[in-house]
Amino acid sequence: VPSPRALSTTLLPEDIELLRQTCWDFAENELKPIAGAVDRDSVYPGDAVKKMGEMGLMGMVAPEELGGAGMGYLAYAVAMEEISRGCATTGVVMSVNNSLYLGPLLMAGNQAQLEKWVAPYLDGDHVGCFCLSEPGNGSDAGAASTTAIDRGDKWELNGAKAWITNGYESEAAIVFATTDKAKKHKGISAFIVPKPTEGLSLGKKEDKLGIKGSSTCVINFDNCLIDKDCLLGELGQGFKIAMKTLDAGRIGVAGQALGIAQASLECAVAYSQQRHAFDQPISKMQTIQNKLADMECRIWAARLTNWHAAKLKDEGHNFTKEAAMAKLMASETATYCAHQAIQVLGGMGYVNDMPAERHYRDARITEIYEGTSEIQRLVIAGNLLKEMSM
Amino acid sequence: MASLRVLVGCKRVIDYAVKIRVRPDALGVVTDGVKHSMNPFDENAIEEAVRMKQKKVVKEIIAVSCGPTQSQETIRTALAMGADRGIHIEVPKGTEENLQPLAVAKIFAKLVEKEKPDIVILGKQAIDDDSNQTTQLLAGILEWPQGTMASVVEHSDGKLKITREVDGGLEDISVNLPAVISADLRLNEPRYATLPNIMKAKKKKIEKMSPEDLGVDVTPRLKVLKVVDPPVRAAGDKVPDVATLMDKLKERGHI
Repeated sequence: VPSPRALSTTLLPEDIELLRQTCWDFAENELKPIAGAVDRDSVYPGDAVKKMGEMGLMGMVAPEELGGAGMGYLAYAVAMEEISRGCATTGVVMSVNNSLYLGPLLMAGNQAQLEKWVAPYLDGDHVGCFCLSEPGNGSDAGAASTTAIDRGDKWELNGAKAWITNGYESEAAIVFATTDKAKKHKGISAFIVPKPTEGLSLGKKEDKLGIKGSSTCVINFDNCLIDKDCLLGELGQGFKIAMKTLDAGRIGVAGQALGIAQASLECAVAYSQQRHAFDQPISKMQTIQNKLADMECRIWAARLTNWHAAKLKDEGHNFTKEAAMAKLMASETATYCAHQAIQVLGGMGYVNDMPAERHYRDARITEIYEGTSEIQRLVIAGNLLKEMSM
Repeated sequence: MASLRVLVGCKRVIDYAVKIRVRPDALGVVTDGVKHSMNPFDENAIEEAVRMKQKKVVKEIIAVSCGPTQSQETIRTALAMGADRGIHIEVPKGTEENLQPLAVAKIFAKLVEKEKPDIVILGKQAIDDDSNQTTQLLAGILEWPQGTMASVVEHSDGKLKITREVDGGLEDISVNLPAVISADLRLNEPRYATLPNIMKAKKKKIEKMSPEDLGVDVTPRLKVLKVVDPPVRAAGDKVPDVATLMDKLKERGHI
């Protein structure tokens, strides 16, 4: 069902509105038709990702000198929503490459690293991944137990990283490991690890509830040796790089969640106008209208918060609280809308003839990764209290 | 090698996927708050010009749109697809639906006088009025050869070899330059704008003028009396044999 959502261009600058329309067209024509199969057969959407690379969507914020689009985070937020509206799996592949892989490199990479690890990872043929969480710690990122030992001419990595998106398809990984345990989180450093590398092995692909076309796995490091020039940034800078990366990544994930929410709403609206009960389309009934209104309100509240966070970042201001708000609001809106969409569809919402059940399964992860909703609340409250304290 | 210059028309129309609603005054359809896009056949026109530029047959593409302020967005899309600059012939908001093919053809004729392109490419028809007239009228005014409903366009030595989709099948013609072409759906597959091109499009120039600046009178020659929804399809009748069918047809005055 096409969405004739006509957005006023006073809300978005002209070029970003054009970008939005372009991504919307791409999602309608290239992603919507494959999303069902990507989910059902857990297939990586390689062709779509390659086309997105050609358009510049896989390296949106990378500077033009490196071959990126040189765009800001408002553009990124808008593009993420439209792509994810077509296919949430494709959205996560795009978001991990843009925010989590390219993010740290653009933040802390030297010229040689930018040329080797950024420039070739913009075309959709090569993607990267981000390794922070471990089997033993997720939210408690400071407790990373993966180690990196200085062996003179090489770094030696030992440990395991969990829940790595693009684990199988990626050819490079940003890995956070402890270089000085005594300094606790200030002893964590960031590394670029090429894949494949001897000593690096992949665990089995996780069998997930949703975003099934994206591979997720454990990555094991067993005396894994990497070159000295693979250190990213300064020693001990890793935790800071990770946190700053996640700050910005939240805007992308919020975009993804909004895409899923919007797709759910459209599914519910279309169905309610066609389904008849008690001699009228159910869209005329109050209980259904209440649900649609609530969905629309929450989507717009989250969307505007995300655009606000993105604009703050683009203008060089502190945006940590706003990005956390956007991610929290958007993810809870995605699960809400997907849930209500199934309710509007009734029995049809429970079978895979309609995409509502896929949106429900896809939405769930957005409340968990890149900072759980619980962590987002801590971040928001922490910043709020600082702002409002006398 | 690249020496030709192309003028391409692109019209802002209601998006093809929108459910059209007739206005309460029955003089048109609802356009307020409704999604608009570039006319699909015009996308084919722009795409063809861009491909000719990539093949180094064309060196400059000028995208033209006649319409209200928002037609600028349509031109920006054309620029993002690869056109070099734009011309916006602006008419007051609400009057665009009275801009009829003859007026548009006259505007384009004046622009041709001004810009001196070698080729003009238009979409074969706009999906709002389905006129399929502007190309033919323009060719007539200019006394240029025309290749309408083009599904293949090839350039060689100052001529264009065009395959036209006609009722009987496909017709191959050859036209001398300068010429006017109208693009059909199967001419090409329009590209998605790339992000770098969207960024570049911001800096490309769009010249603005009014029909009056060109000395063109756009007063409509046709007046819309009424716009109505198509009749709701009524159920049919099944008859047992041809004799009964003939009787029924005679009864209802159809024969």
